[in-house]
Amino acid sequence: MLNIQTVSVIGANGTMGATVAGLIAAFGNAKVFLICRKKEAALKAVETAVGSVRADSIRKKLIPCTYEDFESCVGQSDWVFESVAEDTVVKSEIYQRIERCRKPELIVTTGTSGFSINELGKNFNTAGQKRFFGTHFFNPPYVLTLCEVIRTGKTDPALFSDMQAYLEKVLHRDVIETADAPAFLGNRIGFHFLNKALQYAVRYSKEGGIDYIDAVLGPFTGRGMTPLITVDFVGLDVHKAIVDNIYAHSMDYDHSAFLLPDFVLKLIAQGKLGVKTKEGFFKTVANGDKTKQVLVYDIASGDLRPIRKYKLPFAMQMVSHLSAGNYGKAMQALKDDASGEALICRHFLASYIAYAFTTAGNVSPKLADADIAMTTGFNWIGPLALTQALGGYGEVLKMAAQADFEGNLAARLRGIGEKGITAAPFDYRKSLRAVL
Amino acid sequence: MEKVYILGGAQTDFSRNWTKEGKNFCAMIKEVTDDALAAVRLNDEDIVSLNNQNKIAACVGNFVAEYFCSQGHLGALLTEVNPAFYGVPSARYEAACASGSVALDAGYAKIRAGDYELVMVLGFEMMKTVNSLSCGDYLGRAANYAKEAKGVEYPFPKLFGRLADTILERHKPDKERFLRALAKIADKNYANARRNPNAQARTWFMDEEQANRRGTDTNALVGGMLALSDCSQITDGAAAVFLASEAYAKAYCTKNGLELNDMPYIKGWGHRVAPLTFANKIEESRDDAYILPWTRRAVAEAYARAGMSVADMDFFETHDCFTSSEYAAVSAFGIAEPGREYEAVESGVTSMAGSKPVNPSGGLIGCGHPVGASGVRMMLDLYKQIAGKAGDYQVKGAKNGMMLNIGGSATTNYVFIVGK
Repeated sequence: MLNIQTVSVIGANGTMGATVAGLIAAFGNAKVFLICRKKEAALKAVETAVGSVRADSIRKKLIPCTYEDFESCVGQSDWVFESVAEDTVVKSEIYQRIERCRKPELIVTTGTSGFSINELGKNFNTAGQKRFFGTHFFNPPYVLTLCEVIRTGKTDPALFSDMQAYLEKVLHRDVIETADAPAFLGNRIGFHFLNKALQYAVRYSKEGGIDYIDAVLGPFTGRGMTPLITVDFVGLDVHKAIVDNIYAHSMDYDHSAFLLPDFVLKLIAQGKLGVKTKEGFFKTVANGDKTKQVLVYDIASGDLRPIRKYKLPFAMQMVSHLSAGNYGKAMQALKDDASGEALICRHFLASYIAYAFTTAGNVSPKLADADIAMTTGFNWIGPLALTQALGGYGEVLKMAAQADFEGNLAARLRGIGEKGITAAPFDYRKSLRAVL
Repeated sequence: MEKVYILGGAQTDFSRNWTKEGKNFCAMIKEVTDDALAAVRLNDEDIVSLNNQNKIAACVGNFVAEYFCSQGHLGALLTEVNPAFYGVPSARYEAACASGSVALDAGYAKIRAGDYELVMVLGFEMMKTVNSLSCGDYLGRAANYAKEAKGVEYPFPKLFGRLADTILERHKPDKERFLRALAKIADKNYANARRNPNAQARTWFMDEEQANRRGTDTNALVGGMLALSDCSQITDGAAAVFLASEAYAKAYCTKNGLELNDMPYIKGWGHRVAPLTFANKIEESRDDAYILPWTRRAVAEAYARAGMSVADMDFFETHDCFTSSEYAAVSAFGIAEPGREYEAVESGVTSMAGSKPVNPSGGLIGCGHPVGASGVRMMLDLYKQIAGKAGDYQVKGAKNGMMLNIGGSATTNYVFIVGK
């Protein structure tokens, strides 16, 4: 096992930097330098790290630092985890600074979710390039255990494999290797679904838009949180950055699914970025009698209004069956329902499976990696698990044929074929929630 | 005496919160029943056929579903989740946190008596239906509620804190050394849980130092000297095993290409009930070498019935509802003399790498403690270890193992030895 004793986390003021520092100090039992622009930010990052693993015992291993300490910290380190702002100029400067003070055996990884690892790697000299790759964690990492690892053409394969073992066995990550493709695997599949949900909120704005689509694609379809509440949590600006990046740098059969609807741009321009600014798609307001209510942005009117309880019969039936553990009956209720909402739901689930299998085929060596990514990175049912829950690939094909709204779904699924379908790595029963 | 074999079984993932998933106890029982049937390669037709011959029974262990789930008559619940169980003689068994074991005991007795060929023993508890204060109050019914629990916040951590106090008073170990040994037990059980794919705490962080930092924000004191790290957590979960007569096990092996010699069977058992009230328990044992003499008696009687001793045991699954209960179990098992338990803990004898691993599964602290399921979960883990099916938490070459499941403040004591 790699002997990693000392680690520098650069950009530890960010949530990912601080919480990954917490993981490394806790499970890795390593000394971690938390490097931030300002000392106050570094002190705060130590608290975030301690809080993230709920253990005071790691505090003494967390050293708050500033860029004045950079050379000293990096010079002592076995691993540098770079988690600075998503800005190639900033990252490039950091890498060049690392090159000037590193020991040769230092491992450098980036937590970028957007940039090409191969491009970033060019900032290192020949020796440094061998010891550089991507380690993409998910937020919050103590709860979401996925880590995508991405090598460049120059990465030393033995080191890369040793680091995967370290991430799995020491830091207790679920590790998958992905190609150096835009947004890698988890975000590519996840944000395809999320942005498509946004597009459908526009398409169905008269029916209610945002909360309507969330009602159709609730936790009973295999996710911890509804899709548009998820986007509100992620941040509308972050969502935009991810889908814009995928749209600009990829081309596949469902490319247009990454086009961000205009109303989101309008909200971002108004500074309504979601939970972090207390208003985005949703806003919680006090009623004056100690109760609160949640308002939702109504796309059709451009105003906030109270969220609605849609009481969709197919969803209520599914929840009723799921609550008693009757998974087959729940899926049958979805398949048998003739309502427009059930049709949208079937379309989304088939579209998710088609996109996940296509992307996994291109970005990752194994189809099962898509399940690992979605379950341990998003808390969603994986595409293989969902296929199994729905009764097999034939059932997915049937659903796609009934609900081929864009005309590319059924043919895509037929093209993928049933051959590669393997056993799901996670139990679908845990992911299907009896929650509207 | 009729040998009783364990064919296998299943448990739910103890990290799940079924209330958050929106699922009820029927979903939980259905899932564990389906999985246990699949694990022993039985289908609904097999159950119906055995039932037509009146050869199968079921025993359901649960402590207080009446409170947690507003449901009684739990023996009949199997009929709600699978029509194959229509008509199968089934009842609920209760002995607080040893409910799983009293259900096992019933199934074991039914087969020894020759009444049935196959018994499904299922234990479950769904505890996250209420907040932790209410949960603590409900669990108080495992003590003398009126005297020891009514109006007390979290009565059980306090009772097992008193056990820790009593160990200090009677055996006079160095207090710091004793507390460090308790922290080592917690750290070990968390570490073991990380290798168990069904353990509640498998992704949680704990180290010896954190376990020693009692009384801090992230490790608050909850009962006397005991802090959060000394406690098992509130858990939702179920476990089920199939017990079989020798004749059934023989036919089963033939059908499935297995060797009867490789099949784990119950070699010994012990069952003793100590005074319910903690004060009476401790008063009674005032002049005894063991603070919990009835726990020790149950262990000793299991050894005697099996014709075995601690030297024959390759591992133990014990009831570490608190670190103090595992500490006391170390001497009850005979791993250390009473009063010298800390030495066995310190030296690593009870760790996974030691000669007498205690709680390879992570135990109640690491794997979780859905109270009515715990005894059955322990039996399933004995089966897995002996059958070589424990995966990453396998004790290499395990041939014989012991479980100790207790109810209340070490009031009901159940011990089983399983081996091959």
